[in-house]
Amino acid sequence: MAMKEIDLLQGTLDLLVLKTLGAGPMHGYRIASKIHQLSADVLRIEEGSLYPALYRMEQKGLIESEWGLTDTARRARFYKLTRKGRREMQKETESWVRLSTAVARVLKALEQGA
Amino acid sequence: MNVPSRIWTRVKAVFTGRAIHREIDEEMRLHLDLLAEEYAHDGMTAEEASRKARRRFGNTLLMRERGLDVRGAGLLGDLIRDLAYGLRVLRRNPWFTAVAVLTLAIAIGANTVIFSLVNSLLLRALPYPNADRLVVIWSTPRNHPEQKFPGTSGAYVLLRDNSRLFEAIGAARLYEAFTVAENSNGANWERVQAQWFTQEMAAVLGTRPMLGRWPNDGDDINDLFIVISYGLWQRKFAGSPDVLGKKVLLDLGVATVTGVMPPGFEVLNPDAEIWIRQTVTLPHGPVPRSPNRIFTAIGRLKPSVTLEQAQSEANAIAMQLVEQLPEVQRGWDMKVESLQDVYVGRIRKSLLIFQGAVLFVLVIACANVAGLLLAQGVARRKELAIRSAIGSNRWRIVRQLMVETVLLALMAGLVGLMFASAGLRAFIQFGPPDFPRLSEISMDVRVFGFALLVSLVTGFVFGLMPSMQVSRRDLMAALRETSRSATLGSQRQRLRSVFVVLQISLAVVLLIGSGLMVRSLLLLNMAQVGFTPQGLVTLQIPFSRSVYYKGAGNTPAGGLMVEFDSRLSKLTELIRDRLKGVPAVESVTVAITPPLGGMPRRITFGRENTPIAPSEHEAWTAEWYPVTPDYFETLKIPLMRGRTIGAGDTSSRRAVIVINSALARQFFPNDDPIGRRIQLDLLDDQPREIIGVAGDVLQNRYDISAQPQVYVPQDQLPWRMDLNIARQVLVKTFIIRTSGALPIAAVQAAVREIDPTAAISSVRTVEEYAGAQLQDLRQSAALLTMFGTISALLCVIGIFGIMAHAVMQRRNEIGIRIALGASAANVLRLVLRHGLLLVTMGLGFGVAAALVITRVIQTFLWGITPTDPVTFMVVTVALAALALIACYVPARRALRIDPIIALRIE
Repeated sequence: MAMKEIDLLQGTLDLLVLKTLGAGPMHGYRIASKIHQLSADVLRIEEGSLYPALYRMEQKGLIESEWGLTDTARRARFYKLTRKGRREMQKETESWVRLSTAVARVLKALEQGA
Repeated sequence: MNVPSRIWTRVKAVFTGRAIHREIDEEMRLHLDLLAEEYAHDGMTAEEASRKARRRFGNTLLMRERGLDVRGAGLLGDLIRDLAYGLRVLRRNPWFTAVAVLTLAIAIGANTVIFSLVNSLLLRALPYPNADRLVVIWSTPRNHPEQKFPGTSGAYVLLRDNSRLFEAIGAARLYEAFTVAENSNGANWERVQAQWFTQEMAAVLGTRPMLGRWPNDGDDINDLFIVISYGLWQRKFAGSPDVLGKKVLLDLGVATVTGVMPPGFEVLNPDAEIWIRQTVTLPHGPVPRSPNRIFTAIGRLKPSVTLEQAQSEANAIAMQLVEQLPEVQRGWDMKVESLQDVYVGRIRKSLLIFQGAVLFVLVIACANVAGLLLAQGVARRKELAIRSAIGSNRWRIVRQLMVETVLLALMAGLVGLMFASAGLRAFIQFGPPDFPRLSEISMDVRVFGFALLVSLVTGFVFGLMPSMQVSRRDLMAALRETSRSATLGSQRQRLRSVFVVLQISLAVVLLIGSGLMVRSLLLLNMAQVGFTPQGLVTLQIPFSRSVYYKGAGNTPAGGLMVEFDSRLSKLTELIRDRLKGVPAVESVTVAITPPLGGMPRRITFGRENTPIAPSEHEAWTAEWYPVTPDYFETLKIPLMRGRTIGAGDTSSRRAVIVINSALARQFFPNDDPIGRRIQLDLLDDQPREIIGVAGDVLQNRYDISAQPQVYVPQDQLPWRMDLNIARQVLVKTFIIRTSGALPIAAVQAAVREIDPTAAISSVRTVEEYAGAQLQDLRQSAALLTMFGTISALLCVIGIFGIMAHAVMQRRNEIGIRIALGASAANVLRLVLRHGLLLVTMGLGFGVAAALVITRVIQTFLWGITPTDPVTFMVVTVALAALALIACYVPARRALRIDPIIALRIE
């Protein structure tokens, strides 16, 4: 963990979780490690944030959960996207992309001394 | 998830909360295991890995709470858990719970009883259709706008014919009494209360007879038509429908029954059982100096007309009246008042005062329980601190405490409601019989709502303060604190002190208020009534049936005039003589208005040969008592000068009069009144020579000093007079001085011997009905005294509690002081100082507040001012003494502290 880890913006975590679940159902630990891995160890999801976020989204009906078995045959709670969650994911992704390109554009323009 | 299914999940979660816990735990455990495996994979030992994983993961308990918040029952489940926990806490401290619930229950119960009265009488509408539009139009003398009288016939007619804001205006004569027989032969007669109604009253009230109809234009104007009460119908006519059209004999003549009113129907006189149709016309002929103000105008406003609009119209009509009938209307205004206000006017103020007083009691009770809670809070601080340390947030803790206090208050509310319903039943059973609309008083949804609201507000208010205290301070400090620290809960102690000062102040106000009433009662009881009521019995014989008089045209003033039958005077004397022979009778006399028995007729008078002052409020007036011989002797009224009225003062002798000292002082300040002559303003009355001056007699228990009074021999009354005066004169009150129990049957037999048709009624001792006059004040005083006593008691408990607690807390300090050689006096002073400061402050604030507040009970006080120094002094000293005891007893305990034990306890 030599590299500095970045705190996630509120709301960004939800998007990441939704997007991750887009690949298929998985349990909490898997979600956290997948995000960690895909961000090249930059993003570390605090367990203290992950589970409340999962419960919250389940509450909102974006994801649902059921008990299943892991690869190592252990009981785990698997989360998967609902249809509503998928719509939400697409909407959020688009707006995130729009936002980040806009921010990137501004930063770049300023850097070039505009 | 849609909304219903989400709610269902939650409700289910309430019951499956434990399962959800387990699931969340399992999920966390898996995560931890996987984390630990990852660390182990990185080369840590299993133990190290597990510890690191656990540290990283953080507070699983907190996470579980959050998970439950989302997935579990949420607020609903929390509430139920809080309730269950609260119940456990309350059950763990049964004494605390019992004291708190009982304290609050008494206060809530008292509030509920008084609110039931307020609700039934002030808030609930009168039982007429659209009762809010009913008003009474009074006549008020300009110089005494607070007095309200019925009006003259002229005032009514002009009002009826000129007003445009009313749907209808009727006139009623509210307090009349007639004898009524069940048929036109005069059989089985009895005396009943009656009212005269003009025909318009039917439209004004809007209440229909349950049987038959109101009299109408089809009924001959020269005949008598009546509707009767449900009670009279049942009693006299056995509820038979044949009653319609039946002719009955009133002492006015034969009347025809046209209808029966539903049960409970009444207008400002719950005893009236007959309503007689009357017609009111403008007076003609010469106008009398003292016109009859007997017509109470009652009107129904048109929809959406306000009281103010009606009042300004009435003002205009009153001015018009003065122009048209200057002799009778000059100096008189009109006042429009809603019927509801007229009904409850007398008691509205006392009810509001009582409601205020019980609210004081409630505040005191709350302060007490809040004090208890604060004391208890010290013990619970560690518990709360631990809960906070393991992740309960502040809101959760406050909510838990609030749930506990609200639970407490609701329990108290339930017990209080039971108290209230018992209290109300007792009130209806034993309450004053003349209380307006007594039978309608009941507890309804609004009362239950009130009790619930009071309980909830109470629970929140006194729950909030201690829990704010809890949450404000750093609870972590509580964990480090030990009971050794002298500053423990000093802030808490300060808040309790504020409560105690507040309690004492409120109790002072209540006690001074009730003290003032009690002192008024004592003064009234001690007031010299001017005669000896002990051993006096009065009974009435109404000779008002038309056998004893006959109509004789109109008086010059336009009223009906009657001539007395000359036999009546002899008959009265014969009965009087016969009664003297009944056992236990010492002497007998006959009066019109019994002593202490209500309102005597007032009469204007002047010097002989000088005109009596032109308008009634400038003239001299006196109470007028027509009496028979032996009056002064029987009542034992002292004679100051001259002689009393004797058997020789008959109609054939010169007219005489006896005056009282008050009149002698005012009318003849410098002369000897004996032998002077005065003229009474009474038709045909001769100038009368003053033969004696008698002592002053109180006619009313609320009087401290007597009015001017005159006594005339009944035998010398004019033989014809206005029907209204005649009907009063015809009801004779026999006053008997007894030497033992009066045999009523023998009295009745004796009377029947002389006149077989005469029936005696209202046999009462003077002490009995004179006592009843003070009933109102006695009850008010009793009620306020009860509230005052409760509040004083609560205060004592409050002071005791805070003192005992203070001693407990300072046990070590006191122990050290004693060990170092402090004397008993030193220790006592140390402990008492704080308590005495609180008591002094409470008394000071209380007296200051009472000086302002007692003004509201001014109208309940007789013979003293609302700032009566004696009452203030007595109450302050008494409460101070009580408070001192409450301080001293716990302080004494400080002396018994054994320093060795006190120090070892740590």
